[in-house]
Amino acid sequence: MKFPVLLLAAAVVAGAGLTACSTSSSTTGTTTPGAAASGAPNGSALVIADVAPFSGPDAALGPTYLASCYGATSAINAAGGVLGHPLTCKSVDTRGDPADAVPAVNQMFASTSGLSLVIGCTSDEAASVVPVINAHKMAMFCMTGQSEFDNVHYPYFYRLVPPDLEESYAMVAIAQQLHYKRIALAFGNDIGSQTFIQPAISALAKAGMTLATNQTLDLHATTFRTEATAIIASHPDAIMTEALGSADPTLFQEIKQLNGGKMIPVIGTSAAISPAFFKSAAAAVGATEFTANFHADNLVTETSGPAYQAFSTALLSQQGKVPGASGDFTTYLSAPGGVHLYDGINLAALAMIKAKSTDPSVYGPDIIAIGNSAPGAKVCYSFAACAAALKSGSASRYEGPGGPTSFDSFHDSTGIFQVDTYSPSGQVNVVGNLAASQLRALSG
Amino acid sequence: MTIFLASLGFGLVTASVLAIAAVGFTLQFGVTDVLNLAYGAVMIAAAFIAYVVNQAGLSIWVGLVAAGAAGALGSVLLNAGVYTPFQRRGASPITMVIVSLGMTLIIEFGTQAIAGGTSVSYSMGQGPTVSAGGLVLSAVQFVVIGLSVLVMAGTHVLLRYTRLGKAMRATAANRNLARNCGIRTARVITLTWAITGALCGLAGVVFAMDAGSFDATSTDLFLIMILAAAFLGGPGQAYGAMLGALIIGLATEISAAYITPSYKYVIAFVALLAMLGMRPSGLLGERTG
Repeated sequence: MKFPVLLLAAAVVAGAGLTACSTSSSTTGTTTPGAAASGAPNGSALVIADVAPFSGPDAALGPTYLASCYGATSAINAAGGVLGHPLTCKSVDTRGDPADAVPAVNQMFASTSGLSLVIGCTSDEAASVVPVINAHKMAMFCMTGQSEFDNVHYPYFYRLVPPDLEESYAMVAIAQQLHYKRIALAFGNDIGSQTFIQPAISALAKAGMTLATNQTLDLHATTFRTEATAIIASHPDAIMTEALGSADPTLFQEIKQLNGGKMIPVIGTSAAISPAFFKSAAAAVGATEFTANFHADNLVTETSGPAYQAFSTALLSQQGKVPGASGDFTTYLSAPGGVHLYDGINLAALAMIKAKSTDPSVYGPDIIAIGNSAPGAKVCYSFAACAAALKSGSASRYEGPGGPTSFDSFHDSTGIFQVDTYSPSGQVNVVGNLAASQLRALSG
Repeated sequence: MTIFLASLGFGLVTASVLAIAAVGFTLQFGVTDVLNLAYGAVMIAAAFIAYVVNQAGLSIWVGLVAAGAAGALGSVLLNAGVYTPFQRRGASPITMVIVSLGMTLIIEFGTQAIAGGTSVSYSMGQGPTVSAGGLVLSAVQFVVIGLSVLVMAGTHVLLRYTRLGKAMRATAANRNLARNCGIRTARVITLTWAITGALCGLAGVVFAMDAGSFDATSTDLFLIMILAAAFLGGPGQAYGAMLGALIIGLATEISAAYITPSYKYVIAFVALLAMLGMRPSGLLGERTG
């Protein structure tokens, strides 16, 4: 029964390392070996890689982006593909951890023929994988709001989402609209969530609100009773939070229990607009209780018109086909990643047609050309319509469900925000908009 | 005082969940000589079995029974299909640890591949909440504490008053001597895997109920707490594991109330290291040397 202490130490260290050491990736669709990005043989598949968390606390993000990839590529393939190539999607699981993300991306480059575009690259892993992807001269549409990409030029980096600090301002603006005075912060200890805290604190001060308490949630912890007690004791009017995975639902449940059966109102980030998040949170505290107490900021997306029609038709045609997608599939129609990466894929595919090349170093500048375009260019709302216009030689400007794009010199095109809630059935409702002037008033 | 009472209540719940898991783990290690690091992975796989039962419209308490049965069956198969063949070939203890780590990844990611990477929750109410001073506990948490007490009492009865329990203790103390005394140690070991596997399944569901929301990797950190409780009490010592679970559970929650919660595991493990420094064999372990 005696056991050497060394063995115990080895076991504990090995056990602790489990999370950090595991990486996985999977492929969806089929790829044709031997097809190179710059000179893909006719008819061979071009691959769009979804580099994002498919496991770990932020596991809901990967399937959200994959849904947009499936939707966009199905519409593109139905319209004849790109330069004679069909498009397929591949998932690359970063686990939301830079230590796992870099080897996963390196493996992706080593093993993927016909790779033509990368999407995803969330704040969890962007800082570590963007330089790697850029060094491979591969175009990428990233879902990171990290401010370090505001002023650093990566030639192959494109972004259709605003900096995180603007999202922090948006959350504070929602609190203002709802007349809250005392705000508790509860953000996960991951990079993507921590980035919201400082801008939120400064915006709260600017808005004349009181920071009731600031709790950091360890995403690997199994209970947050102490944090919940501290939040309740600080008597906040609302909690601003982003702690994905099981953390936020667990926190909500424990707050409800410790607060006499009542939830404290919550203001979430756009990452909370996902079927997986709704399912977990509603199961934890009850759908009616959750929806009555939840608001989130979200990027403004269209909910009608030709661009939305094309998008919703393409996306909903993939219902039941996207690995990892669970819950109400229509929620993806409002998910920021679902909308903006659909636009990103269409922009890249159209740029390939315009440049007559699948090589990112050749077609990259045409992403800007099609997104910004020249004055007087004809606006088109779907890949099929824009591709036809390009083939006929007319100047066109793609405008998707994410609205018009306007890339700056750092390839950033940032949208404006709206306020979302859920209905008890899980559908997303737009209940307000946030003017740019409101956000400017809260900025440092 | 209010904060202390509140954290004491939280600590009791955490300790209860931990005790069920740690007693199963340490009994398994004590009798079979396998430091089964796949224990946490089996726990979460069993929690998902209960989830499937629960999603089918049945009560979570039915799911609890199903998870216990699945944990027992899974653990017996794990031993028969993986650990025993390695032991038969004379694998060293460190090799067995590596094998169990491999099984952890296989079970955990296998569960993830089937269930998906996102978190899930049981469909169940928490029941009425009882408040006294700063102590706030829900009906479900009282049930968890009660279940833990029941498991501890059951373990005590099993080890003290049954032939199987005595055979388990004899096998744990000296397997060859037990065999020479006529105890069918192979059968005892298989039954131990079944009993501790059932406890593992039970612990998985209770863990998931307590957490409220869980995914395939949720027990990664909890496994380290199980190891801490088991080795604090003395490896292989069921009563030691109960004591260890109580200390670790209370230490994490009470320290979180007074220091920042981010350091609660640090405080617990500093206490563990200090205690092991004074008593390397654990609180109730055999003294050596």
